[in-house]
Amino acid sequence: MGSQRIIGGGLGLSEAGPSTHHHHHVPSYGVLHGINTANPSTLINEGHAFNFGELEEAIVLQGVKARNDEGKAPLFTTAPRPAATLEMFPSWPIRFHQTSRGGSKSGGESTDSALSTKTEPPFEAESPMSKKATTPSLDHQHQLQHDHHDASRIVGPSSSPQNQSQAKSPHEKRKGAGSTSEKPLDAKTLRRLAQNREAARKSRLRKKAYVQQLESSRLKLTQLEQDLQRARSQGLFMDCGGVGGNLSSGGAMFDLEYGRWLEEEQRLMGELRNGVQAAVSEGEMRGIVDGYLSHYDELFRLKSVAAKSDVFHLINGMWTSQAERCFLWIGGFKPSDLITMLIQQLEPLAEQQIMGMYGLRHSSQQAEDALSQGLDQLQQSLVDTIAGGPIVDGVQQMVVAMGKLANLEGFVRQADNLRQQTLHQLCRLLTVRQAARCFIVIGEYYGRLRALSSLWASRPRETLMSDDNSCQTTTDLQMVHPSHHQNHFPSF
Amino acid sequence: MQYQQSSSWSYYMSMRSNRHRVAEEEMTMERVGRLASESAVVIFTISSCCMCHAMKTLFCGMGVNPMVHDLDLLPNGKQIERALMSLLGISGGAVVPVVFIGGKLVGSMDRVLAFHINGTLVPLLKQAGALWL
Repeated sequence: MGSQRIIGGGLGLSEAGPSTHHHHHVPSYGVLHGINTANPSTLINEGHAFNFGELEEAIVLQGVKARNDEGKAPLFTTAPRPAATLEMFPSWPIRFHQTSRGGSKSGGESTDSALSTKTEPPFEAESPMSKKATTPSLDHQHQLQHDHHDASRIVGPSSSPQNQSQAKSPHEKRKGAGSTSEKPLDAKTLRRLAQNREAARKSRLRKKAYVQQLESSRLKLTQLEQDLQRARSQGLFMDCGGVGGNLSSGGAMFDLEYGRWLEEEQRLMGELRNGVQAAVSEGEMRGIVDGYLSHYDELFRLKSVAAKSDVFHLINGMWTSQAERCFLWIGGFKPSDLITMLIQQLEPLAEQQIMGMYGLRHSSQQAEDALSQGLDQLQQSLVDTIAGGPIVDGVQQMVVAMGKLANLEGFVRQADNLRQQTLHQLCRLLTVRQAARCFIVIGEYYGRLRALSSLWASRPRETLMSDDNSCQTTTDLQMVHPSHHQNHFPSF
Repeated sequence: MQYQQSSSWSYYMSMRSNRHRVAEEEMTMERVGRLASESAVVIFTISSCCMCHAMKTLFCGMGVNPMVHDLDLLPNGKQIERALMSLLGISGGAVVPVVFIGGKLVGSMDRVLAFHINGTLVPLLKQAGALWL
């Protein structure tokens, strides 16, 4: 219990304050404060941990001054430096103190055992120590202080006589207990002091090692952050074709760029929403809509660059969220599906506009069918190339297959071209404000798909057996989109 | 004298081959034009090309019956390919598929999709007589 109290004091006075009231050890706790405030400089030993051997010799019971100084900073957090790291380990010096007090209480044996346990890893539980340091130990501390009195380090020993009489209680094992002033120290005390010094030194070394470890980790962390920063900025300046990049880096670069694109898209969405709500002028709205449209143009440009370096990355959709990936069509969204959704969400529309939307959807569907069939033929031809032929012809086979795979980029480019043309045509069909609403709908739709993906990824995993509801839910989800699964899963 | 004769002879021969080539190119271009005008919709393809298959599917899906010329099956396919490249203004890479509607050059899949989406392809086809209402 005493140890906990001291620890509380080490961490912060607020904890120490109330707790000290519960015990009658306030004076001794205050003593520690008193000592600290009296001579912090002597106790600060070149930034090392406590030299407890010296402390023992230097401790003086300053009862009055101690009580007055309860408000000062706790001893153990200020005396040893570096402060930052020490505050993390308030227990170290405290343990030392307990040890010394425990030793004073029960004699050399307990001191020795306390010291020996202290040499184990510094973060072990307090319990071995705390058992030794019980509440009455502070009286012994007084006793101890009087034993090793060093006049030059003592400040105002006003209450010392009174404590001294208390301290001279029945601890016969305690050698030299009767002495009250400087006196040649006897052998057992000397041994104990030496052991304390040794333990203190070892503790200092351990702490030094740990601090060095921390410093190197900190350096590593800053280096990692710099690398990350550099990689991000490189993503900005990488030219098309992926300069010096292997295939995977082309995909990684695109992921970076896509992330940045998404952030900018969110900002533009905000502009669109503001424009609609604030009912800005037509010209201004036209500007905002054009900005959003050219942002999508930028995405298609990025994708065409990425297709040159890593077309598989685009086609397998690892750059999108899971839900978007579910509906992926040749590396992106399917324009006719988007238009179907928009026709519903953008009501009311003029008759002419509705006709235009349906016509656009029809044209898009024809184009999508054509591209999908072309891709199917590519897949079939690839299968024929790789599956057929004798083993001997392996290299030639691969060469031909590679040539066919190169056509994949063309299909992704045409699919993106279709998407881009569809978006532009939408803008032509609609009025400026309708176009703004249209883009808001599109942005929110994909935003919700992304949110759904992350929610799904972080859902609590219930076993299907235990929860009928979750069982039903998964079945429902599967039933809702069977056609999509058939049409939208990439053919490769 | 002889030297002069030989140099002038080689010069004459190189000029002749240049002119030959130019003449050939002109002939090919004429041929392309003729082929393109033979039908309302003419597509130059390569038999193994998948994008050409997509192009064919697109037009057939619209109800158009395009005339398809496989360059790898034509005797002077290479020259026609070069002619198409110069018509399109590209220096390398995939040339086909190339589409002519009503004898006039439309372009590659890029342009065809753009025209289709912005609604100008169907009127063009109707004008050329490839589509009826």
